[in-house]
Amino acid sequence: MTRRWPAALLFLGLAAFAGFPLALLLVRAARAPDVAWWDTWAAPGAAQALEGTLVTSAGAALFAFAVGVPLAVLLVRTDVGLERPLKAVFTLPTAIPPFILGMGWVSLANPKAGLLNLALGAGTLDIYGATGIAFVLGSGGLPLVLLGTGAALSRIDSSLEEAARMSGASAARALFTVTLPLALPAALSGAALTFLYAASAFGVPYLLGVTATPPTPTLTTRIYGEVLMGASGLERAAVLSVELLVLAALVLLASRWLTRAGEVRLSSGKGLSIRRMPLGRWRGPLTALAVALAIVLVVLPLLAVALTSVQPVWGQWSGLTTKHWGAVLSNPRTLSAAGRSVVLALSSAALVTAFGLAIASTKRRWLEALSGAPYAVPGTVLALALLVAFSREVRFVAFDRVAFVLAIGNTLWMLLVAYTVKYLAFGSRNASDALAQVDPSLAEASRIFGASPARAFVDATLPQLRGALGAAFLVTFLVCMTELTLSVLLIPTGSDVLGTLLFELQSYADPGAAAVIACAFVLVLLAAQALQALVVGKEAR
Amino acid sequence: MATVELERVHKAYGATQVVKGISLSIQSGELVALLGPSGCGKTTTLRMVAGLEQLDRGIIRIDGQEMDGPKGSVPPERRGLGMVFQSYAVWPHRTVAENVAYPLKLQGAARAEVARRVAEALGWVRLSALGDRLPQQLSGGQLQRVAIARALVAKPRVLLLDEPLSNLDAALREELRGEIAALRARLGTTMIFVTHDQGEALALADRVALMNRGVIEQVDRPDVVYREPATPYVATFVGGANALEGKVGAGHFVVGEARFPLPPGTEAKDGAATLVVRPEDVRVGGEGPALQVSARLFLGSATEYRFLLGDRVLRAVGPHREDAAPGSRLPVAFARVRLYPSP
Repeated sequence: MTRRWPAALLFLGLAAFAGFPLALLLVRAARAPDVAWWDTWAAPGAAQALEGTLVTSAGAALFAFAVGVPLAVLLVRTDVGLERPLKAVFTLPTAIPPFILGMGWVSLANPKAGLLNLALGAGTLDIYGATGIAFVLGSGGLPLVLLGTGAALSRIDSSLEEAARMSGASAARALFTVTLPLALPAALSGAALTFLYAASAFGVPYLLGVTATPPTPTLTTRIYGEVLMGASGLERAAVLSVELLVLAALVLLASRWLTRAGEVRLSSGKGLSIRRMPLGRWRGPLTALAVALAIVLVVLPLLAVALTSVQPVWGQWSGLTTKHWGAVLSNPRTLSAAGRSVVLALSSAALVTAFGLAIASTKRRWLEALSGAPYAVPGTVLALALLVAFSREVRFVAFDRVAFVLAIGNTLWMLLVAYTVKYLAFGSRNASDALAQVDPSLAEASRIFGASPARAFVDATLPQLRGALGAAFLVTFLVCMTELTLSVLLIPTGSDVLGTLLFELQSYADPGAAAVIACAFVLVLLAAQALQALVVGKEAR
Repeated sequence: MATVELERVHKAYGATQVVKGISLSIQSGELVALLGPSGCGKTTTLRMVAGLEQLDRGIIRIDGQEMDGPKGSVPPERRGLGMVFQSYAVWPHRTVAENVAYPLKLQGAARAEVARRVAEALGWVRLSALGDRLPQQLSGGQLQRVAIARALVAKPRVLLLDEPLSNLDAALREELRGEIAALRARLGTTMIFVTHDQGEALALADRVALMNRGVIEQVDRPDVVYREPATPYVATFVGGANALEGKVGAGHFVVGEARFPLPPGTEAKDGAATLVVRPEDVRVGGEGPALQVSARLFLGSATEYRFLLGDRVLRAVGPHREDAAPGSRLPVAFARVRLYPSP
């Protein structure tokens, strides 16, 4: 591929819809005319917001690390029972918005009316506040540690452990002196990603922090609050975004560095052999423990959401009802929000897949890396940047004309742009990983028989990418269906998508109706995963 | 130094019998090679001696103490052995010296003692200069030397080597083979060496145990295994011999339509038998049935001929002959054979 214009064009697109808005946000923050930086940071609540973000994110990372690492060892390196179903359940939160887990925990552990508190006595558990936020985000981020550590653990040859045994180490000592040190960088990198995931979260800290006593603000909820205040709040929001952006960048760099540092010690996978450690009489109890953990962290909150959707009165045990389902499914507002979400999610998924494939086909590493960058930017910051760049109401004075040309603020186009930019990484990464796997001689063979480069790509290469592109499309579609963080800031006034409706119903109006939407989404999600497993299974055969 | 005894050892994975009743007695200071094709159970046998696998039936003793058997299994760390793995298994997060020091640290040796013995062990394998390196900076041959030093540093009772040379290129293999022989002469450690390479086994071992499908077919000195193979399988595996199934009668061996006169002095009972003849003992152009040449391969010091014998191929090695072009027919006779009555 020697032509330059496709890469240049894609770069310009990325620059216009991600680079330019973020740069604008930085400029805006730097030049905040009537609010000095120091004033913003020293303003009442600002320090607490930073503290809230640091405490909840560190708590989430710590929780995910403490639970995820032993779990990864158990699932990857021992003969624990029910390994496959356990893996599937523990990694489910990668696809479920943490907000839905948070809703489940509100139903379970609201101090007055939570189901667990009804069973254990009122006030036993309180999900509100920093600890609750850290717990919910930690269980949502658990897959990041579990998958990262698990991948590293599955690349440590058993002979390394056996060599320690032969040198005189017990099985436990071999685990702690050989296996765990080798997997540690990956585990820490997973914990750093969990930190980033938690620091970027908006829905859960809003749900569990804002109404807590005392309130636990975080940077994201504070930025949201400032934006709601209008023009002057926007200045402060921009300044706070920079804080969050710097934090995210530092954590991401640390995670990257750890991954790279750990990588060299892991085996390439050639001729790798892993003998699972027999647990002996501990097999039963440890399997039971893992199952219990899966139930508490994943199954229980989802069941609570399901139960809430059929409870007549929230927080009271008085039989079952279908009234919420009936009301939601016949409510024109819900239906139009669902329609908008479906259209937006389908179009974003199509754009992400198409642009991802285009980016991967240029075979330019820098472009691919750049296309993945917006995913690492906290959603609140990205949304604010788009708002600053493209909204008529709040455009930045010096860039008046540029912004005006693309004045898509306060329209659904804004959401389409936001979703596509944010999740472009799914498309480009999936496509380029798959492209790297395709043997170039397949296309070369069809060139030999007379196909043009484009024809060879379509006939020989593209069919090999089908699975990866399908996966990118599906993941993007599912994520966009209930996207919350970008949507609450960018939604046009007087209009809804499923994410914002869920947020509004849960936070202010009708938890029962919110539970119906969440429940319906989880059902769609499980069906999609089953479908994907079926398709992948068929192709593997 | 220690003795190792295996008594009717059995091991199965699921329904697959991997080791079927092996008995083997190894003297103190002896080097025994477990030789056989992949899947013959040799590595499993070694891993059972190590304690990395448990027996289904049988007993393993080291120095007369039961290590595994009816009374249960002694875990590998309490057997006092050393092991060198095919994949080297040098820990990538520790330097060369730290790798070698690990067994001594576990024994609770004092720091000065550890340093002294690590230096000594690195000297044995000529790696004294590389103690501070990380494994990622070493070549395959150097890694295997680290593994050998680590296995020997704590003076194990028995050193186990699992295909230690098979991941190395030909030149390095020769070199390391020589070093293992030298180390052994110096330290006198009892060694069990697993390999699929007959050259390695014959060159290094005091005795070779030839394994096939979970049983030992023969245990003997290398020269005996080579000259007097106990079974046709041993003959074909160790010397690359031809094994022909046929009938003995009236001083001849009959395979299909071909009647080969048996060399004088061959002890033969009439009846069905397997005849084993090494390629160098097949004479081209002697007194025998004419066979068709299917291929002629020039090897340098000699030439290999392949003859069609029914649906089998008979290999012969001898001086180059212009008249033995593929497609031609030449008489073939045997100078020396071994006959094994069919069971």
